[in-house]
Amino acid sequence: MVGAKKSGFDAALSRRMLLGGAALLAAPALITRRAQAAETCVVGTWGGDYARLLHENIDEPLLKPQGIDITQDVADETPRVAKLFASRRLPHGTLDVACVGAPQGFRCGEAGLLETLDETSVPNLRYLRPDLKSKTFIPHIYSAQVLVYNPQTVTDPPKTFGDLLDPKWKGKVGVIGQNSFWAMMGASMFTSGNPSDFDKAKEYMLKLNANGLRLYPSTDSLAPAFKSGEIDVGIVWQARIFMWQNAGFPVASTFPQEGAILYVSGMVVPKNAPDKPTALKYINAMLAPAAQQGFAAHMGYLPTVTNAPLSGNVAKGLAFPDPTPKLVQPDYAVTTKVEPEVNDWWQKNISHS
Amino acid sequence: MPTPRAAGLGSRAVHRRKVAGGAISLLGPATLMMLVMLVAPLAIMARYSFDKFDPTEMMIAAVTPENYIRFFADPFYWSVLVVTFRVSVIVTIACLLLGVPMGWRLARTQSRWKSMLVILIVLPLFIGSIVRTAGWMILFSHGGMLDQIARAIGMQGVDLMYSEPAVIIGIIAINLPYTVLILQSVFEGIDTRLDEAAASMGASPKRAFWRIIFPLALPGIMIAFALCFILSMNAFPTPVLLGGPRFQMMAPLLYYAFSSDNNWPFSGAIAFILMGITLGLTGLAHIAIPRRYRG
Repeated sequence: MVGAKKSGFDAALSRRMLLGGAALLAAPALITRRAQAAETCVVGTWGGDYARLLHENIDEPLLKPQGIDITQDVADETPRVAKLFASRRLPHGTLDVACVGAPQGFRCGEAGLLETLDETSVPNLRYLRPDLKSKTFIPHIYSAQVLVYNPQTVTDPPKTFGDLLDPKWKGKVGVIGQNSFWAMMGASMFTSGNPSDFDKAKEYMLKLNANGLRLYPSTDSLAPAFKSGEIDVGIVWQARIFMWQNAGFPVASTFPQEGAILYVSGMVVPKNAPDKPTALKYINAMLAPAAQQGFAAHMGYLPTVTNAPLSGNVAKGLAFPDPTPKLVQPDYAVTTKVEPEVNDWWQKNISHS
Repeated sequence: MPTPRAAGLGSRAVHRRKVAGGAISLLGPATLMMLVMLVAPLAIMARYSFDKFDPTEMMIAAVTPENYIRFFADPFYWSVLVVTFRVSVIVTIACLLLGVPMGWRLARTQSRWKSMLVILIVLPLFIGSIVRTAGWMILFSHGGMLDQIARAIGMQGVDLMYSEPAVIIGIIAINLPYTVLILQSVFEGIDTRLDEAAASMGASPKRAFWRIIFPLALPGIMIAFALCFILSMNAFPTPVLLGGPRFQMMAPLLYYAFSSDNNWPFSGAIAFILMGITLGLTGLAHIAIPRRYRG
């Protein structure tokens, strides 16, 4: 009825209100469009200290002044890699940069998911250590797998993986369950002189297990075990020794004479990164000396570039012994293929025994 | 012109349609949300569980039962299932044994401290299960509080960390508040005059409880049982943190298959096996209760 007062639903859909609603709906799009004028980079990373140090050493000091906003997509490495695989056929993925370990970096590279990077697109690559170079995986930090011991209780520290089999350390050897595959590579170095002989490594591990091997669920659970006297020796990354010593835990390390396996953590740019130019700027900033030195000082991982010298206590704490120990990189082509089988074996024969 | 009887039938039909419409409008959003948030991911995971795993490519589309066969053909996975079942049964029995008297006492108390007692039971739920488990770690570990106290009084050290008893204690601590709260509400719903009637006919409080109250509470006790059992079968942080790498239960096993190798097909199969067995056992327990005591 003309002139009658509208009520209920009719009143709610008046023309004026519809126009107002449309404007409200359009507002976020307009705001977003404006926000997108600045460069943004989505970095898939681990959380905790690593994410914090990325923010403190790369995002804020190096990229913010260039007008680049960083969004961290925090998750474990496994779901991050799954995301790269799952979005491989999309024109645009969700990550500009993904932080991964070298084995997963190799795996993604082999699957054709990653952009090839060189000194033209990332100038700081010219300073990368030659032994760490790869076409698609850019190393960020690295550390060696060492033998850790309690200097208060151990007068004759282990020098090789073989020393851990000594009955005097029965029930006093600790290994981190999460790092079992790396411990297997270390065992392979001892038994065969190369990091990929897993049959021999299995024989070694069965003996170590029979010697009362203690397993710990996480890296951080190993340090308290040294403090409480539960274990005297173990296997861990050199970077952790540096951190734990700074935190007051009684730990020291030796590099295994047969060769220390290197763990390399780095970053990759997916082929379908939404903002590739910004991703390249991020990778370049990650290799900058100040960023590399910041990670060494706070996490104990070594710089992967040759133009980031360390000084003071950091240099002293992270220096290699003299003569320089043998450092060994895994054969990633092999590890990618055999890791599931080796993990399965570990779970059934070491964890479940 | 419709007859009065036809008009009555018509109005009843309209009423039924209104009731049905109201039910749909009330249940619809929640049902839709369940379909999108729960059923759709489960359907996707079910599909993945029939794919093939490849170390380089991660997952290859296929329709193969090999992930399910791998689980059931390997004694290792059976042993993990047995451990999970054993822990869950022990935890559930312990929670019911502790929870029934607590719930009963809370429901029947006239004390002015009743609200405070309920808050004390609810309080642990305000703290995340991982934080609570961290507390148990401090208590149980080598050189921890229990160990130090035992040594101080001249006993041998107590090292419960990374053991099955530690996991059982940890899960009981997490599940008990849920059990007590459910049982309290169940007992609250039983008329107190039944106790008085039983007493007036000469039944002792003990006899009245077992012959009158307990059978009436049985459907609610079954709900507490089901919740406690399902939570235990799916426990994750407690077995990982208190059990350590050598202690295997199903949920950590599932996570290991996913996190160590990105093996989605096998993880999916484990998830469905765990879900199926949990629901199956819960259903069996329900059937085992005599029909007259079911809710």
